[in-house]
Amino acid sequence: MPPPDLLSSQGLRLDGRRPNELRRIRCKLGVFTQPDGSAYLEQGNTKVLAAVYGPHQAAKSKSSVEGVVVNCQYSMATFSTGERKNRPRGDRKSQEMSLHLRQALTAAIKTELYPRSQIDIYIEVLQADGGAYCASVNAATLALVDAGVPLRAYACACSASMAWRGAQPEPLLDVGHVEEAAGGVVLTVASLPSTGSIALLELSHRLHSDYFEMVLSRAMQGCKDIEIVLDKAVREHLAEGWTKQDVVTI
Amino acid sequence: MWTTKTFLTKTKRGNVLKIVREHYLRDDLLCGSAACNFCPHKDDELVLEANPESLCGLFDSNHYLILDTNVVLHQIDVIEEDALKNVIILQTVLEEVKHQNTAIFQRLLEVIGNKKRKFFSFVNEHHKDTYVERNPGEKQNDRNDRAIRKAASWYASHLSIKNIDGQFPQIVLLTDDEKNRQLAHDEGILTCTVSDYIKNVNGYPGLSDKLSKNVIPESCSKDALYPAHLTPTQIHAGIRNGKLHQGTFHASRDNYLEGNATISGCEKSILLQGHIGINRAIDGDIVAIEILPQEEWSKPSDIVLEDKTEDPGDFLEEESQLLTISKADDDITPTGKVVGIIRRKWRQYCGILLPSKFPGATRHLFTPAEKRIPRVRIETRQSDILASQRILVALDSWPRNSRYPLGHFVRSLGPIGDKDAENEVILLEHDVPHARFSEAVLACLPPDNWTIPEEELARRVDLRATCVCSVDPPGCTDIDDALHARRAAAGYEVGVHIADVTHFVRPHSALDREAAARATTVYLVDKRIDMVPELLSSNLCSLRGGEERLAFSCIWILDENAHVLSTKFHKSVIKSRAAMTYEEAQMAIDETSRNDEIATSLRLLNKLAKKLKQRRLDNGALLLASPEIRFQVDSETHEPLDVQAKRIVDTNSMVEEFMLLANVSVAERIAADYPQSALLRRHPAPPPAHFNAFLKAASRQGFELDVSTNKSFSKSLNEAVIPERPFFNTLLRIMATRCMQQAVYFSSGSKTQEEFYHYGLACPIYTHFTSPIRRYADVVVHRLLAGSVGADATHAALLDTRAAQALCDNLNYRHRHAQLAARASVALNTHILFKNREEVESAVVLAVKRNALQVLIPKYGLEGPLYLPSDKFTYNEEENVQICNDIVFKTFDELTVRLTLDSSNLQHRKLVFQLVTPFIPGVSYVQQTKDDQMEVENVEIKTDEKKRKDLPETKNKKKKKSKT
Amino acid sequence: MNGHVTIRLASERVNHCVASSNELPRFYTPGEVISGMQDFMRGHGTYVEDDCIKSSVAGVMQKVNKLICVRPLKSRYVGEIGDVVVGRVLEVQQKRWKIETNSRLDSILQLSSVNLPGGELRRRSAEDEQMMRKHLQEGDLISAEVQSVFSDGSLSLHTRSLKYGKLSQGVLMKVFPSLIKRRKNHFHNLPCGIAIIIGNNGFIWMSPMQRNVIIGENKDEIQNYEHQPINKSDREIMARLKNCVAALVAAKMMLDDSSIMFAYEESLRYDDVKELLDPEVMLDIAFLTQHRLNSIMEE
Repeated sequence: MPPPDLLSSQGLRLDGRRPNELRRIRCKLGVFTQPDGSAYLEQGNTKVLAAVYGPHQAAKSKSSVEGVVVNCQYSMATFSTGERKNRPRGDRKSQEMSLHLRQALTAAIKTELYPRSQIDIYIEVLQADGGAYCASVNAATLALVDAGVPLRAYACACSASMAWRGAQPEPLLDVGHVEEAAGGVVLTVASLPSTGSIALLELSHRLHSDYFEMVLSRAMQGCKDIEIVLDKAVREHLAEGWTKQDVVTI
Repeated sequence: MWTTKTFLTKTKRGNVLKIVREHYLRDDLLCGSAACNFCPHKDDELVLEANPESLCGLFDSNHYLILDTNVVLHQIDVIEEDALKNVIILQTVLEEVKHQNTAIFQRLLEVIGNKKRKFFSFVNEHHKDTYVERNPGEKQNDRNDRAIRKAASWYASHLSIKNIDGQFPQIVLLTDDEKNRQLAHDEGILTCTVSDYIKNVNGYPGLSDKLSKNVIPESCSKDALYPAHLTPTQIHAGIRNGKLHQGTFHASRDNYLEGNATISGCEKSILLQGHIGINRAIDGDIVAIEILPQEEWSKPSDIVLEDKTEDPGDFLEEESQLLTISKADDDITPTGKVVGIIRRKWRQYCGILLPSKFPGATRHLFTPAEKRIPRVRIETRQSDILASQRILVALDSWPRNSRYPLGHFVRSLGPIGDKDAENEVILLEHDVPHARFSEAVLACLPPDNWTIPEEELARRVDLRATCVCSVDPPGCTDIDDALHARRAAAGYEVGVHIADVTHFVRPHSALDREAAARATTVYLVDKRIDMVPELLSSNLCSLRGGEERLAFSCIWILDENAHVLSTKFHKSVIKSRAAMTYEEAQMAIDETSRNDEIATSLRLLNKLAKKLKQRRLDNGALLLASPEIRFQVDSETHEPLDVQAKRIVDTNSMVEEFMLLANVSVAERIAADYPQSALLRRHPAPPPAHFNAFLKAASRQGFELDVSTNKSFSKSLNEAVIPERPFFNTLLRIMATRCMQQAVYFSSGSKTQEEFYHYGLACPIYTHFTSPIRRYADVVVHRLLAGSVGADATHAALLDTRAAQALCDNLNYRHRHAQLAARASVALNTHILFKNREEVESAVVLAVKRNALQVLIPKYGLEGPLYLPSDKFTYNEEENVQICNDIVFKTFDELTVRLTLDSSNLQHRKLVFQLVTPFIPGVSYVQQTKDDQMEVENVEIKTDEKKRKDLPETKNKKKKKSKT
Repeated sequence: MNGHVTIRLASERVNHCVASSNELPRFYTPGEVISGMQDFMRGHGTYVEDDCIKSSVAGVMQKVNKLICVRPLKSRYVGEIGDVVVGRVLEVQQKRWKIETNSRLDSILQLSSVNLPGGELRRRSAEDEQMMRKHLQEGDLISAEVQSVFSDGSLSLHTRSLKYGKLSQGVLMKVFPSLIKRRKNHFHNLPCGIAIIIGNNGFIWMSPMQRNVIIGENKDEIQNYEHQPINKSDREIMARLKNCVAALVAAKMMLDDSSIMFAYEESLRYDDVKELLDPEVMLDIAFLTQHRLNSIMEE
């Protein structure tokens, strides 16, 4: 039988959330002045910084007439996990992460607007407590918004897993490290919630197709919830920045 | 929508890691009380009554109870009683219990799940008002106690909120911890010890008997009889530096002051002797052992030593008998002593009460049925009633100053000697789940008048017009297979139709989980413990004659020589023409005048089966035998009347052949489609060493058997025939069976292809498909096959290798225990049969032991020791024979013995075998007159006649039964 | 070098926002529907999907007749003809320089749009092409004006005026282009003796006023001047000015000569330039500046 312990008999998860609840998300836009856009995002204990440079002139080799070239670099701080570990940039895992990030973000950016340009997105995971990818996508979206890069919609990522409540399968939203480690599948979805399209879908283990729909829809719901949180943060940021300009320009 | 609550982190320091975990505190958790005016409860969430009736004399006002962790851990038997209601189980407690003892946790969950009990589990750890953070330097236990107190005071104030009339329940905290009680008192919480509370409960006599005895700390040395156990840290350190060893303690069956421990990595087990050496270890416990210096090593004593019947009080007797052991060098084994207990493996034990000599005393001794378990001291006021009953007792502790472990009475199983009570003992001792099916399980059942719905018919192949019939042993109500055969364009079409249990038992339902836990139907002599509820097992799934039933069919096209040309599987609907017994089927085949469809179909089947069987035997399949008997049971009293060996007719093997064929076909299919998770059955080839004794014995009878492969073994078994001794070959086969290993279920992902081999059946791959009503393995195989042929969706657990292997482990465990329980039941009934009876029977020697012959009575399938006095017999170890003058006993010899039942010990009644022939003066049982001898023969003839007469009679009885 | 370094906790961070306005405009965020397609034309920061105009950036909507634009809070510099920019030479190419101007694509300075020594109407010769690097080389800073915008959005610059050209000694600051207020004049000689170029692209150049130099022909003098050391007081003033701009930027206030000057004046109450790095002081300066700006507007 699959690990039964992820949900208590009262229907609460190990950290006290209900199955359909996200972890607490806190975020802030424009944390740096140097890059064009930047954001900091906490999803539970997972903490991520994102910085966006561009769009700027693309290097000749990468340049594309079709649209903007998105370049991602994902890295984890040495102190980001419980065990301190030197993480060379560009190891296999972060390369894969970078690729996945690029896939999700390229889907959101209106790339066709900027031929021969390039956008560099740098992600640094300060603390990893599960769902680093999701937090990275969400932070990068905020950084892109901050940089004023035109987007089709917010790109949000969320993970979901499966647990059993009695005989009833119950998908869990926004899987934390403890739940990730307890085994079971983790479905990661990056999507543009307002359009309902999926930019990336990843499954950590095999999941029976019977439950796939259920888990996916839970993850999509999570993306929608995240979008609301991000949107709120963006509006707050705008409110903070806009006041002065108007006073002066009027 | 979701809301996030105030966020706090919880840190847990491991070796070097600092783990920070999120911990969300919520404000939407309900208190579950009907007296609450505050929480937005829905009706079904109100667990606790508004006006709980106060049972306890100590508290006049109505109140809810809050239990502390140790109360739950120690007093689970009390909690399981219906007396306590309106109890709040805090999450703190729940989690600690889960952490410390999963078995008790499960039982607690059961209680909480029972609506009538009104147990509410309150998630205090995630409630914003009741969460407490661990203070720096505070112990985890102290924090938990504080959390419990906090929750208790929160409840008290919470219930008073908005309660205008002032009528709200109080909160009473039950804890045995003195300090905690004091602190709670200071905080204004009502508290009480469990024993005070329980002893003052009115209206539930006997409740206090279930109180667990308080544990006296190991450090207390007052009146200590035993040396103290080491603390876990000392043990840990000792094991690490090699001074101590970890092992599992096995008590000796014959000598209560002796046992041994198996240590991993150590070939010889360590001998443990005497009260001090064993130091309160109980069979199965994992213990820490210190090995004594070599000069103190001794050898296992060969005396049988039983604990005295009298209650000696709390002192240890002299162990002189044990210690006067000759220090013969050749026999000594490593000896050690238990210095600590790593983990207790206690369960509940069946047994009888040994009432105290003093009238009115409350302290009594309890003798477990299992001889390896020491006697237990329990406290009860109902000794008069319990003395004549079989009771269940749980162990609580074994303090240093007590000669016996302390325990408490759990429940009574029934009067001693009562069939039901004895059956209950068998089931409990073999860990057979046999409780009635729970409401949740029964809720999964279709209605009684269920008929096949139209859409189900549309989805299935309709075989109702086909002449299908079933052949089973008489009295069978759970018919799970039926057959048909007819001529087809190319060869013959043969179908095996298996009851479609999976249509009713859906994955992950309560019914499914119950069936998975039971794993198999257990057959006792007079009772059947069903795996699935009777509605399914005997009605809706049972392929009864003349009724439309759902089936899973396996249809082959066979050629003239019974070679499989094609196989197909599909779900179907069938209507069995007749449910026959083996003998009826045999008669139908034999009666040449019958030419109806059933008879021709059966003849065809029989013909093909013979070819299949021959081919199988040619491949090296073994025909093994075991002494199987059937009891004839009185329909009124369920007392066994007589026994008979099972009769084998052609049709038995006919059905068997096709079932084997179906199993093999299915195994091939699912192994191909699920390389990682198919449930298969393998039978490993026995290691050659197992055969040594058997081969020696056979060669003494003049037969050289070749056991190199199953084929050669089968061949040489066939040739080993003594014409004048027809039973000899069967006997050989019985003995051969005992050399075999157990066949086991396994998941295809866990073994390599070569290991799939089934030695006994000589086929490369095998599974169980044909009895889903009584075996859970078949249910799983059905699901796999259904997924494979697209008849049903697969589910996740089905495809998970690890889950599959865990399932197999449980299946194997349950099957083994089901077999043992069945055997125990046979033994029990044999004992009842021989009550007030004695018989002289022919027997054969199965093995020669140092002081006895192991004999088998073929008629009853009974086996037991025939003790030989050592002053008359000499044992030749080399030849493995017992010699008395000119009479030599060796394995496979035939003799005559007298059987009686020795009822002197109620717990362990046993059959006594006495030698009759060959006659040895002073040893053999002497008949008084010659007439007696004659009479015995007459009796034998009579019983034979009776057997014949009984046959049709019993059949009638069984039939009647199956109809009801 | 053992100065005090103060690192603050995130929770003690000063909120630089000098909140004054109580009415917020309607904000649009990416993906949000602005209106139906029928009546309007889409402009920058919007796109059309499912017959709706949607916002693609986060900002306020601006409607010019039927054209709908959404202006983000900040973005890369989008040049317009006539803008004054400060840029850095990235590359010397055939007949042109590549200039980094903080816009999406690198800007271009044609050899033909540069004033070369020896008269405006001089023909460009092959020799000039070889001498390009002598005139402006990689890393040089220039001020220039946007001459035209190419179809792909990149800018073509010119320096055909004496006020444009190579910048020598001074301080460059980069701020978000959206904070630069569009003015008639972006070259200012502040009363404190510092010349400042507030580039529309967010690059701000500060240098000591060229007091002695007669703007004109004397090439050698200019060259000389480039190598003359700048005295300490000028440097201090520049540092102060820079910190003032930083304070305004932190408070997200618009930059122009008056706001910078006000900030500078307000900062004088702090003697030590380095004090201006203190977040509270920055906030104070921004606040006072805002106050002065408001009072001017009321007048």
